[in-house]
Amino acid sequence: MKNRVTGVLLVLGGVLTTVSFIVAFFVAGVPDFGTVTVANEVQTERSLIEIAAEGFKYGRPDWGQKIFYFHVPVALSSFLVFIFTAYYGARFLLSKNREFDTKARIATEVTLVFVVLTMITGVLWTKAAWDVWWEWEPRLTTYFIMTLLVIAYFVLRNSIDDEERRATYAAAFGILAFVDAPISFAITRLIPSTHPVIERGGLETPMLLSFLCGLFGMLMIGYAVYQVRVREEMLKERLESLKASLEG
Amino acid sequence: MDPTLQEIYSLVLKQWPLVAGAYSILWVALIVYIGMIMARLGRLEKEIQVLSEAVERRG
Repeated sequence: MKNRVTGVLLVLGGVLTTVSFIVAFFVAGVPDFGTVTVANEVQTERSLIEIAAEGFKYGRPDWGQKIFYFHVPVALSSFLVFIFTAYYGARFLLSKNREFDTKARIATEVTLVFVVLTMITGVLWTKAAWDVWWEWEPRLTTYFIMTLLVIAYFVLRNSIDDEERRATYAAAFGILAFVDAPISFAITRLIPSTHPVIERGGLETPMLLSFLCGLFGMLMIGYAVYQVRVREEMLKERLESLKASLEG
Repeated sequence: MDPTLQEIYSLVLKQWPLVAGAYSILWVALIVYIGMIMARLGRLEKEIQVLSEAVERRG
C-alpha cells in the first residue's frame, strides 16, 4: 500500500512539474525589468516625431525569471526533506534505534541532491538577473553554509568507524545543521537582502499556477524519492539476512 | 541589422542559455538519480526473490 502511494506521488509529481514547465513557458508572461532605450538611428515605421520625443523604448525582457518556477520549489523541497534529518536524528538519540539513523542518513542524502540542484539553478539565475555568478548576500550565504553542512554530515559519517558513535555524532550534527534551514528561509524577511521575496498577490494567475504546480510537484518528488530510498535500504537489509540464513 | 532588433536578440540570447541550462540540468539530474534508484531497486528485488526461493528449497 505504502509503495503504491509512493509510486502515485512520484508520477503525480512528474505530471505537476511538467504542467508547471508548460504553463511557465507557454502561458505565463515574461516580466520586464526596466526599459531599454535606443535613442537614435532606428529603422522603424513609427513616426520620427514620436521617436524623437522619447527615444525608442521597450521593456527589457527578464527571461531569467523563468528559472524561478523550478528553483524555488527545489529549494523548498530541500528544506522539507532536511526536516527528516533532524526529526530522525532526534528520534535516534532518544531511542538508539538503528532504523532512525538510516532514515536520517537517507533524508540527508536526498537533501544533498536537492541542495546541489538549488545551488546550480540559483547560480544560473544570479548570472541571468544580476550578471554575476555569485554574490555574498544573506540568502545565498546562509544557503551556501547549509550546503557545506550537508556535505560535512557525510564527511563526519565517513570519518568514524564505530557504528554506534557514528550514528550518535551524525544525529547530533544533523540536528545542529538543520538550524541553518529556517535561518536561510527567513533571512530575506529579517535583514536587508537583494534576493527576491515572493509577496502575497505578487504573481499573476498563470505565474502563480505554474509556481504552485512546480512546488507541489517537487515536494511530492522529494518525499517519494525519500520513501523509495528507504525501501531500497530495507531491501538491502533483508538481502543481507537472507544471505546470512543461507550461509548459516 | 536593425539596432533595436540586435539589442533584443542580444538580451534574449544572453539569458536563454542560462534558463535552458537550469531546466535541463535539473530534469536530467532528477531523472538520472531516480532512474538509478529504480534500477538498484529492481536488481535487489530480483536477488531477494532468488534467495528467498533458495531458502525455501533448503528449509
